[in-house]
Amino acid sequence: MFKYIIKKIIGMIPMLIIITFLIYLLLEMTPGDAVSRMMDPEAIARLSEQELTAIRELYGLNDPFIIRYFKWLFQIMQGNFGTSITSGVPVSTIIGRALPATIELAIAALFISTFLGSVLGVLGAIRKGTMTDNLLTFAGMIGVSIPQFFFGMVCILIFSLNLEWLPVGGRTDPSVVNFFDRIQYLVLPSLVLGITMTAGVMRYARSSMLDTMNKEYIRTARSKGIPEWRVNLVHGFRVSLTPVIVLVGFRLPTLIAGSVVIESIFQWPGIGNTFSSAIRASNYNLVMMIALIFVFMVLFASTFVDIITALLDPRVKLEK
Amino acid sequence: MSDTIITVKNLNTYFYTNQRCNRALNGVSLEIKRGKTLCVVGESGCGKSVTASSIMQLLPKLCRIEQGEIIYHSEDRGDIAIQDLERNGKVMRSLRGKDIAMIFQDPMTALNPVYTIGWQISEMIRAHEKISKKEARLRAIDLLKSMGIPNPEKRVDEYPHQFSGGMRQRAMIAMAMSCNPKVLIADEPTTALDVTVQAQIFKLMDELKENYNTAIMLITHDMGVVCELADDVVVMYMGNIIESGSAQELLGNPQHPYTQALLKSIPMLGKGANQNLNPIKGSTPDPLNRTKGCQFAPRCDKRTEKCDEIMPEEQLVGKTHMVRCNLFCSDMKGVN
Repeated sequence: MFKYIIKKIIGMIPMLIIITFLIYLLLEMTPGDAVSRMMDPEAIARLSEQELTAIRELYGLNDPFIIRYFKWLFQIMQGNFGTSITSGVPVSTIIGRALPATIELAIAALFISTFLGSVLGVLGAIRKGTMTDNLLTFAGMIGVSIPQFFFGMVCILIFSLNLEWLPVGGRTDPSVVNFFDRIQYLVLPSLVLGITMTAGVMRYARSSMLDTMNKEYIRTARSKGIPEWRVNLVHGFRVSLTPVIVLVGFRLPTLIAGSVVIESIFQWPGIGNTFSSAIRASNYNLVMMIALIFVFMVLFASTFVDIITALLDPRVKLEK
Repeated sequence: MSDTIITVKNLNTYFYTNQRCNRALNGVSLEIKRGKTLCVVGESGCGKSVTASSIMQLLPKLCRIEQGEIIYHSEDRGDIAIQDLERNGKVMRSLRGKDIAMIFQDPMTALNPVYTIGWQISEMIRAHEKISKKEARLRAIDLLKSMGIPNPEKRVDEYPHQFSGGMRQRAMIAMAMSCNPKVLIADEPTTALDVTVQAQIFKLMDELKENYNTAIMLITHDMGVVCELADDVVVMYMGNIIESGSAQELLGNPQHPYTQALLKSIPMLGKGANQNLNPIKGSTPDPLNRTKGCQFAPRCDKRTEKCDEIMPEEQLVGKTHMVRCNLFCSDMKGVN
């Protein structure tokens, strides 16, 4: 098992390098270079060709693309991410400030969707054809198809503005306020971020569970004389869990992508929010680094899913 | 204590699908005797498995026992009417596995892929006896050993996919035998296995019968197996038992045209490719669209006009030999 995990993590490295190259290439292909972004166009126009070359030389922009890429990669690996073009603050500081908020939100949404989704899905499967099942299926359809930004705004309107149960948005400073005061800020954004995934997981868990409950080993389990809840949970749910976890893993990128929209709506001071404002300000250093973080998260998620799947399904380990 | 351990009387089990009713069993009566093997034979879809599932109350949701009774003659708890028990209720569960155990057709799919063999056997033991996990595991190892699985100490912690088909079925039997059941129902236990393994499995089952006095209900469509193992035989067709009796009576002197045809249709090994095969003409009719009289009449060589009209009653032609055919019914005894 340990060997399998190590192998999976090592397998991530070439993937990461290829992706950094692609991101760098994309940035290279956009018009203009770093100098034209840092300086006022009028100032550039006043400079002579030699002065421009000198400035470019200073920043190493006259080197061939490949050499610049490796220089950049080397810097990144040393933890030197550069500074924000607009504020001059190191990128690592900005990200370091925003990342915990995003991770908090994503984990909350992940937890809600996995837990709620699989419990409701299994409930629907066990009560197949009843009122409960029909209601859940209906709710699932809405959940899958409702756009997140719309659902977010409706939630703010109902729970924050009309009922005044929860704050409209923002996030309190984690160092100051206690957990229960903080959680009220987390409820709405994580619920909205998790809604699509909850519905997806629910529908998937339901069909996976129904599929499992028709398997012959379920009849074998019943023939042993064990209680029905054990048949459902220990035999049925346990087996149907594996594909659900895989689905959750594949949907993780939607959580990360969704955070861009949700964080803007709820003014959540996370990576997504930073990302959208950095794009608007053409803050390329920052955009580049955040994109890299998103990619890393997706890669990490899929590796994590592989490991979890191997833990859950003994048959996977065979592929050495 | 009577010789009989399970009495099935006039059992009717119906399936309800798409608002139609499929009468899978139409009055099946049979007896399973202690320490004997009862073979149930018949074509696919004749109701063999439904009979077994009815006894275990393992029928699908849309299927129910409409009429008749299944009595389990328990040694210490008196007679238990299985058909009246709640399907997954406490009493039924206490019988399943402990008193009546079942082996299924396909060992590839009958074991849960995510648990070890040992875990699955232990679960069965621990469902009925209060023993520790450790003791249950040791029992599982002993059981696997007695089923002739090599290196059971290691095998007990392996998963079903690490077992071959024959070994899985042996593990399945080990599981079924783990609580020393009084009755073992085997639903075509070797259909999915190759012939050499079949022999081993049947030898095992025969030994269990000898050593533990377990009654066996063996569902099969292999007449060779019936000759080897059966003490009593029941032949089913379209949800009815059409002939039953001791193996000697039934195989030595088959009376019903269907049984005769069934025995004649077996190709003989060694006779070469040129032998005449005698398949039974036609195929099993649609159970939703039954003929009025004898169910076998449309395919029968010896059919008379009476056969189209009347479903014959059970008729004793030997000591325990029963046949349900109009050829043996005196006039007017048949019922519609």
